[in-house]
Amino acid sequence: MSARNLALLVAFVALAALPYWMPGVYYINVGSQILFYAIFALGLNVLVGYAGLVSLGHAALFGVSAYAVGYMLQLGFGHMASIIVALIIGVIATAIFALLSLRSTGIGFIMITLALGQILWGLAYRWISLTGGDNGINVTSRPAPFGYPLSSPVTFYYTTLVVFLLAIAAMAVFVRSPFGAALMGTRDQPRRMNALGYHVLAIRFWACLLSGLLTSVSAILFVYYTQFISPQTLSLTSSAEVLLMVISGGPGTILGPVVGAGLVVVVKTVVSGFIERWNFLLGAIFVAIVILMPEGIVPGSVRLWRLMTRSRKNGKAGPAP
Amino acid sequence: MSALVVSDLRKSFGGLHVTKGVNLTIEPGERRLIIGPNGAGKTTLFNLITGELVPDSGRVMLNGQDITRLPSRQRPHLGMARTYQIITLFARNTIVHNVTLALLGLSPLRWNPLIDIKRQSHLTEQARAALEQVGLGHIADRPLAQTSYGERRRVEIAMALAQKPKVLLLDEPFAGLSIDERQDVHRLLMAIPRDVTMVMIEHNMDVALEFAERITLLHFGAVIVEGTRGEVVADPRTREVYLGH
Repeated sequence: MSARNLALLVAFVALAALPYWMPGVYYINVGSQILFYAIFALGLNVLVGYAGLVSLGHAALFGVSAYAVGYMLQLGFGHMASIIVALIIGVIATAIFALLSLRSTGIGFIMITLALGQILWGLAYRWISLTGGDNGINVTSRPAPFGYPLSSPVTFYYTTLVVFLLAIAAMAVFVRSPFGAALMGTRDQPRRMNALGYHVLAIRFWACLLSGLLTSVSAILFVYYTQFISPQTLSLTSSAEVLLMVISGGPGTILGPVVGAGLVVVVKTVVSGFIERWNFLLGAIFVAIVILMPEGIVPGSVRLWRLMTRSRKNGKAGPAP
Repeated sequence: MSALVVSDLRKSFGGLHVTKGVNLTIEPGERRLIIGPNGAGKTTLFNLITGELVPDSGRVMLNGQDITRLPSRQRPHLGMARTYQIITLFARNTIVHNVTLALLGLSPLRWNPLIDIKRQSHLTEQARAALEQVGLGHIADRPLAQTSYGERRRVEIAMALAQKPKVLLLDEPFAGLSIDERQDVHRLLMAIPRDVTMVMIEHNMDVALEFAERITLLHFGAVIVEGTRGEVVADPRTREVYLGH
């Protein structure tokens, strides 16, 4: 078994057994948070890592789906109907975002997504009859699919783990597919891709929808986890946080956003209990990553590992005669 | 039916008229060379033909079909391929992946998000065949970043050939090559079968003149001389604006 597969197996076993070796419920909940934020980061990574489009409005799309669940439940609909409607609304909102922002790339795309995100954030604050304004919307219960109630931290964790593994598998299939290759081609050489017969805009549009779908899935898990949604979820800070997850872990990789989500969530929830200025620490870590591993933690670690193993091999071979 | 017909093509950028009523008729299988001093509008003409720029007026016909308003991405599907003056490849990938992307561009498979691209053996085999054609079969799996400039030029040509074009537009394929590399690319171009019509922009007259059957001289966006190789070279206007005395 290769070192990579062994590491993946160890990670899988550690995740599957997490409720048994973690010291308490609090840490199981932290595990759930890491997993659903990882799905969110995987969704943003479709754009940032594979399409070369940096979005600063993804928290708004996340918020739209979360509000949709809360609002539907408030109206008296069941969990299944609320989840399906939230997914549909999330994808439709992404399609609108994409149609408005994909006319531009680079800094233009960033600014349009930022502006759209701010509009939705403002609506969440001001459209009080729909969103509850500053008070937000409470979600009073969690679903119980197939008679398996998600009310306990452990069952919620395992459900999140299953959805997370499905998202990872979907991404692994996607990046190896012709469409994935086409998307990466539009990231690297859009003009050339156009000249080769690809519809660059349509490829980016479908990639946005995939990104929006993953974002909606994570938002649904989030709103059932917190059982509350407020405008703060749609804020620019939230968009920046998930972007930080992608960039710190390694954009354009599958494991990078997962590692990035782990880093940000642990600093935000665990380390913040010990260090008051945890934002400062997160900033310092990010600066260190940019200096030492500008490509992100995962690709940077792989590079360092290869460098070490190569130098060890050279050392064993001894000096040339 | 002519392979490519350009009629009264015009393009301006603000007050600057870069293409002034250009007419070209290129017959099937022809090898046409387009020459002209820097700024003559040669690459702009290619960009108008391939649809990367939209003409202000005029018409472009490909194998009898009017493609003037057709989006550039649809032209490869009708048999038009091009290479770029500045090499435009996918540096993160292997050589064979670059050519596979060219093949995928014309295949409905490009929309499929569920299958493994590496398991599409028919694509990989076609890509390797195109690379064999340009003499790069032995390094097909090498990352593009580890190739020489001359090899990259040949990858560009392989990508164009892989799409089995009817009309191939080559924008300075010898630019930046050493003498040996130039000879290699020249041999490669001469070996392309006659069912591919070729139009080439080139400054390197040693190799380009051997290639050309007919030559068009552009100057300030207009055709000033056109004819056989001998006619154009002998024309005093060619010597005046391009070849020198």
